[in-house]
Amino acid sequence: MELLVALGLIALKVAILIAALLLLPLPLTWLERKVAGHMQQRMGPMRVGWHGLLQPVADGIKLLTKEDHIPADADRLLFKLAPVLALAPPFVVFVAIPFGESVSVLGNEITLYASNMNVALLFILAVIGIEVYGVIFGGWAANSKYAVLGSLRTCAQMISYEIPMGFAVIGVVMLAQSMSLLDIVRAQSDVWFIVYQPIGFFVFFIAGLAEAQRIPFDLSEAEGDLGAGFHTEYSGIRFAFFMVSEYAIMLLISVLSVVLFFGGWNGVLIPLPPILWFLIKVAFFIYLFIWFRFTFPRYRYDQLMAIGWKVLLPLSLANIIVTGIAFL
Amino acid sequence: MSRVLDSGGKWIGWAYFADLGSALALTFSYMFSRTVTMQYPDKEKWLPYQRYRGHHFLKRDAEGEIKCVACELCARICPCYCIEVVPYEDDKGNRRPAKFEIDMSRCLFCGLCEDACPADAIALGQQYEFSSFSSDDLVVGRDDLLAKPGKAVSGGAVVAAQFQAGQDVRVEATGTQGYNWWRNIRRR
Repeated sequence: MELLVALGLIALKVAILIAALLLLPLPLTWLERKVAGHMQQRMGPMRVGWHGLLQPVADGIKLLTKEDHIPADADRLLFKLAPVLALAPPFVVFVAIPFGESVSVLGNEITLYASNMNVALLFILAVIGIEVYGVIFGGWAANSKYAVLGSLRTCAQMISYEIPMGFAVIGVVMLAQSMSLLDIVRAQSDVWFIVYQPIGFFVFFIAGLAEAQRIPFDLSEAEGDLGAGFHTEYSGIRFAFFMVSEYAIMLLISVLSVVLFFGGWNGVLIPLPPILWFLIKVAFFIYLFIWFRFTFPRYRYDQLMAIGWKVLLPLSLANIIVTGIAFL
Repeated sequence: MSRVLDSGGKWIGWAYFADLGSALALTFSYMFSRTVTMQYPDKEKWLPYQRYRGHHFLKRDAEGEIKCVACELCARICPCYCIEVVPYEDDKGNRRPAKFEIDMSRCLFCGLCEDACPADAIALGQQYEFSSFSSDDLVVGRDDLLAKPGKAVSGGAVVAAQFQAGQDVRVEATGTQGYNWWRNIRRR
């Protein structure tokens, strides 16, 4: 019986997570278009619903009812598989992410995480690396030159930025002496790791921007030279899969920044519920992503590679060395 | 990178991404500035200035008689020959237009007809919404021109408006008090 309850609880948590992640792009696209509009002195969506709040729903209906077009020369199996491969890893990753310690519901303590892995950080980095398959299959299967070029670029970008990203979090692991995200957050109850690891956060966040393929590193969908990058040939719901995956990764990078460097649900000064603190911090990072997008131009491809290999990688290695020496 | 370094003393700003920071500050300040969007046609509409040259209209005198004396000077001066006037003599013995047609599809809104008119009978008003699916609708006759709205008292403002999609699609201004759209333009 107890086992059944525990299993049911996990199933419920996973269901809530999936629902939240699938629905999250709706407010996020609205927010992105609103912020974009106001930064460009426009209003953004205004017609559907109050201040365009229902615009994402209308867009979703449009995407669902659009023709699901597969190019004649495409590899049909891979073409259908790629969006799923791109969508699944960001969803899987959220299993390892804690959103808080626990809350008591009807006298029962319910933890705010699906699982407390002792290798959570490694798990996240490993699983998010799988996403690159979705990208390269999508570009390759479409059998179109824009898509192939876009996917090659994106693959190179994601692989080269995963390395500094992995090195950047090592400093945090050294400080917390654990790879469990729960332990990392607990270790930050006094001082957030951003104080000890500013370089680490800098490298992590920039690599995260590149991982999420957001401006200034959105080389994969450089409209001017590539059409839409690896998802040029996708339409309708399969295209929506890629978009949802992009937003999920953006959310993941925000959540990881908060958990690793900004104290997770530990608040400062104002005593708010921990989960609220967590959400406020995540919201700030999501806003930061959007803010960056409508401020910066896109880097050139060689600049992108130069930043990844010549700046971020040495910086993250130096960060590990300095942290190690200080730690000893 | 090196060029920025060479330009003397700026390397501290470069190292701390001062230019990126100022760019972020700029976009953030823009986010809270006024939007320049005019919500036409649902909610707002631009009422042009009085000097605006829109749809023509014909004037009446104090007795309600049409002012036009059918001298055809407007038709002569018109650079695109879009005015056609046929005169007749009414019961009082005055020369009046029997036919006064303007082909709006050809008119270039130069206002020369208004300048040439010796009787101050024709003018270009502020109406600018008269697009049509048929070019036949754009040939406007005498009675329609008499019925067109004249010069508005005010102008140069964004006023509240209502979109009406009925037999003929119209955007009707619901108020006369508006704001000058140009105040929203940010100048530095």
